[in-house]
Amino acid sequence: MLAFALRGVNSTVSQGFALREVSFELPAGYVMGLIGANGAGKTTTIRSLLGMRGVDSGEIELLGHPVPGPVALRQDVGVVLDRGYLVGDWRLAEVERTLRPFYDRWDAARYRELLDGFGLDPRAKVKDLSRGMAMKLMIAVALSHGARLLVLDEPTSGLDPVARDELVGILGDFLLDEGHSVLFSTHITADLDRIGDYLTLMHGGRVVHTGPKDEVLASYRIVRAGPEELTDLVGIELIGPRRTPAGVAALVRTEEAELLGRAVLVEPPTLEEIAVHIGASPARPGRREVAV
Amino acid sequence: MSAVARVAVLHLRTVAPYRAQGLMVFGLIVLVLARTPAGLVPALALLLAPMLAVHPFVIADKAGLDVLHAVLPVPRRAVVLAYYAWALASFLALVTAGAAVAVLLAQLQGQALDPASLATPLTLSWALFGVNIAIQLPLLVRFGYARASVLGTTVPFALVMIAVVRLHLTLGSVQSWLPLFWVLGAVAVAGSAAVAVRLRGLR
Repeated sequence: MLAFALRGVNSTVSQGFALREVSFELPAGYVMGLIGANGAGKTTTIRSLLGMRGVDSGEIELLGHPVPGPVALRQDVGVVLDRGYLVGDWRLAEVERTLRPFYDRWDAARYRELLDGFGLDPRAKVKDLSRGMAMKLMIAVALSHGARLLVLDEPTSGLDPVARDELVGILGDFLLDEGHSVLFSTHITADLDRIGDYLTLMHGGRVVHTGPKDEVLASYRIVRAGPEELTDLVGIELIGPRRTPAGVAALVRTEEAELLGRAVLVEPPTLEEIAVHIGASPARPGRREVAV
Repeated sequence: MSAVARVAVLHLRTVAPYRAQGLMVFGLIVLVLARTPAGLVPALALLLAPMLAVHPFVIADKAGLDVLHAVLPVPRRAVVLAYYAWALASFLALVTAGAAVAVLLAQLQGQALDPASLATPLTLSWALFGVNIAIQLPLLVRFGYARASVLGTTVPFALVMIAVVRLHLTLGSVQSWLPLFWVLGAVAVAGSAAVAVRLRGLR
């Protein structure tokens, strides 16, 4: 079973930005990292997946149902966004009293247990929580209503390393149940090194690459060479080349890297290097820099 | 509990932390009209009830509750209708409290204001409130508080005031029109709710 799937989704956001033919899917029981620079289309994709915005064309499937689907589908989806969406003057105990009537499987004991585990005081007000604490509150809410799919949009941006590490641990616990899945958008790729099973790279509203993490990592190579060494090769696309007086560093597809000569240093990239170079490449297809 | 009722309770919880401000305005209006208790209920309906009706929009705008409404397992339609349910419930609570205070004040001052004589101000209040929110709520549903606050609150208020002045509406002048005022308020609110549900789909 698929946790979700997007097939050929097009959605116009503004005159200058749209999702174009966005397609990717996640089997149930896995974590997908949605990676891209700011403005790549991650949040728009997530809002489309959750049925919070309409799409111009294409199909979206969520937990076996088409989107927009039955309202009850939202019982199974926990949403954690980079911006809170609770009233600042609510106390954490009130958050529970407010949200509980909406969820059939709300577990009050679990909510209290999670608050306790996260070091959150039920008497504290939402507006007085730090960013990390607010993130934990949203996760506590999502886990208390028995969500099968967690959708997190930039949950780690602005968090310190300790809080980020805790969040990754919490997600690890959530995934102990085989039917649970996570979609995790971020531009901090280090978080996905630990828990990402699948990756989708987005740039300029398009999916650049999607698949199992190891496959995505194996698809690219970082090439480094002196200023003159990448000048006599034909047809090799340099993705997001970074030029310095000392030389050039660029991402290339693995099959193309094999064509490069010995003067060029070829290395497996880190996830961050892939994200950085793809983020630095032109957003529109057809404007490729090719080594000649 | 129905989806509309659950969301109406959510709206109540949304504004609950700010109840002190509402009580202060209520107290102020009572204080100003203490010597003319008959005018208390229409004043509350005209001044405080519309403020209470739009307060969930104000907080929603500030706290990003649009997202909460979108992720909760309730139909979008229920969220819109719950704004009306909240507005009507708060109106009812307000005029009930206002009527009780008006009767009490009248008794303290030896004035004749029995529950039957409150029928006229209550009817007038209902019609004014109904027309007011019938204009406000669809605008706020469609555009949100940040974009529609001025248009959504001043226009209906101005229209209602113009109607009161131009039609020479006084407690005495509307006696024979009371059933019509009840119907006018109900039709305005029902029609407005239908429009708002459609407009929500356009967001």
